[in-house]
Amino acid sequence: MPNATRFSRTTTVAQRCTLFVVLLALWWLASLRMPTFVLPGPQRVALALIALMHSRTFLPDLGITLWRVVAGFVLAAVVGGPLGIVLGSNRTAAQLFEPLLSIVNTVSSAIWAVFAIIWFGISNATTIFVVFMTAMPLILTNVWKGAQTVDRQYVELARSFRMSPAQIMRKIYLPTILPHFFAGARLAFGFGWRVSLVAETIGSSNGIGYRLRQAADLVQTDQVFAWTVTLVVLMLILEGGVLKPVERRLFRWKKD
Amino acid sequence: MSAPAIPPHASAIPLHAPAVSLHAPAISLDGVSKRFGDLQVLSDIRFDVADGESVALLGTSGCGKSTLLNIIAGLLGPDAGVLSINGQPANGGQHPSLSYMFQEDRLLPWRTARANAEFGLEAAHPVLPAHERHALADTVLQMVGLDGFGHVYPHQLSGGMRSRVALARSLVTAPRILLMDEPFSKLDPQTRSQMHDELLRIRSLRQVSVLFVTHDVEEAIVLADRVIVLAPRPGRVREIVTVDLPHPRKATEPAVAEAIRQLRLLI
Repeated sequence: MPNATRFSRTTTVAQRCTLFVVLLALWWLASLRMPTFVLPGPQRVALALIALMHSRTFLPDLGITLWRVVAGFVLAAVVGGPLGIVLGSNRTAAQLFEPLLSIVNTVSSAIWAVFAIIWFGISNATTIFVVFMTAMPLILTNVWKGAQTVDRQYVELARSFRMSPAQIMRKIYLPTILPHFFAGARLAFGFGWRVSLVAETIGSSNGIGYRLRQAADLVQTDQVFAWTVTLVVLMLILEGGVLKPVERRLFRWKKD
Repeated sequence: MSAPAIPPHASAIPLHAPAVSLHAPAISLDGVSKRFGDLQVLSDIRFDVADGESVALLGTSGCGKSTLLNIIAGLLGPDAGVLSINGQPANGGQHPSLSYMFQEDRLLPWRTARANAEFGLEAAHPVLPAHERHALADTVLQMVGLDGFGHVYPHQLSGGMRSRVALARSLVTAPRILLMDEPFSKLDPQTRSQMHDELLRIRSLRQVSVLFVTHDVEEAIVLADRVIVLAPRPGRVREIVTVDLPHPRKATEPAVAEAIRQLRLLI
């Protein structure tokens, strides 16, 4: 068994490397036939990336964007989580609020961004608000669905041991909901991260989104590519270095 | 076999008269009735379970066995009649000296075997410190033969082992009364008979009264001191049969086989 998994892991690594090299080669070939302002080549983007990382605003921009995303996400989790539990355990409340959730879900993030500019102007609150409005319904929906999967038999078991409603919430509801919350949070963080850039392009005077618009205005396409590469690498690190290990630790009780 | 007409379900009680007179019965039901809407589920149920006694509730499906057990466990309220636990009227709520073992093992999949066994201790007032809970859980796991399996998750255990963890969880609070709702019905016959031996062994270690629901006549004869045969629609006591055979009772022994046959004729 361990041999088999090691074998499949090496194959996976080999496949990924091949894919990466092939994509890089295609990019390079395409860039030979295009003007630089349309498609800069890999070397040019690499140089731009190095220059970007040495610029004084690189880390502050990265930091402020991350901060806005995390703030909006945490707010979304703090509001969406408990609200999802309430809706999942209370049928009347669920029936009352379901249409509202559909409305919120159909409004595009771009519309929230426009509203945010009207209400908050050029400020951190604009981006945080847009991330919140995008992430919150996702977390809420997942927690809600999770709360509906709570096994009545476990609740009955807890009651047979004379557990209080608070204990039943902590020992039966929360562990059941946690995987659903995690799935929702992951989705929400990804969406929040992407819409934060949209919000920053129109409602901010710093951050990654703002720099992207600046680069676009000046037709510095290599800069846009350099930021894109940075973002992709950042998300991959977050996925592999934080989310996967946390998930493995939290859900080690599950069957593979 | 003398006196005037005794109601049939009372006929066995005098046999246990000494035990009943020394201690208050562990469980006493007097005229318990229950209906769900228009459906009369239980009608005028009366019997006692003496301290330390093992009693089977036997009947076909739909005779209200599980409902009756839920009433005794305090998960349901009776519409009429009186339920007493250890001589005290029990009115609503679950009694601390009672433990309930369900038909399904109901192990929490996110908890290890030991954490599952500890579950019942976590509602204790005052709060038990973690190391005491661990120690008690380890003791009961050892008692059910799962020494060294404390760190294992339920999905890694076989059906029989899961059943043992569920039994450990029921015993960890040191209950005086153990209620069981067809607890071994989902196990294969061999594992089930192992669990029967286990239960009998544990019952002799810990002075615990057992009341269990079953539709398996053999299980009733092997485990019970008395068998309460229920009749369906509405659920009522048809007959109370005393099983006076030495342990261990193997279904292959003639006396045991005969008792099983006799009981089967009653239902």
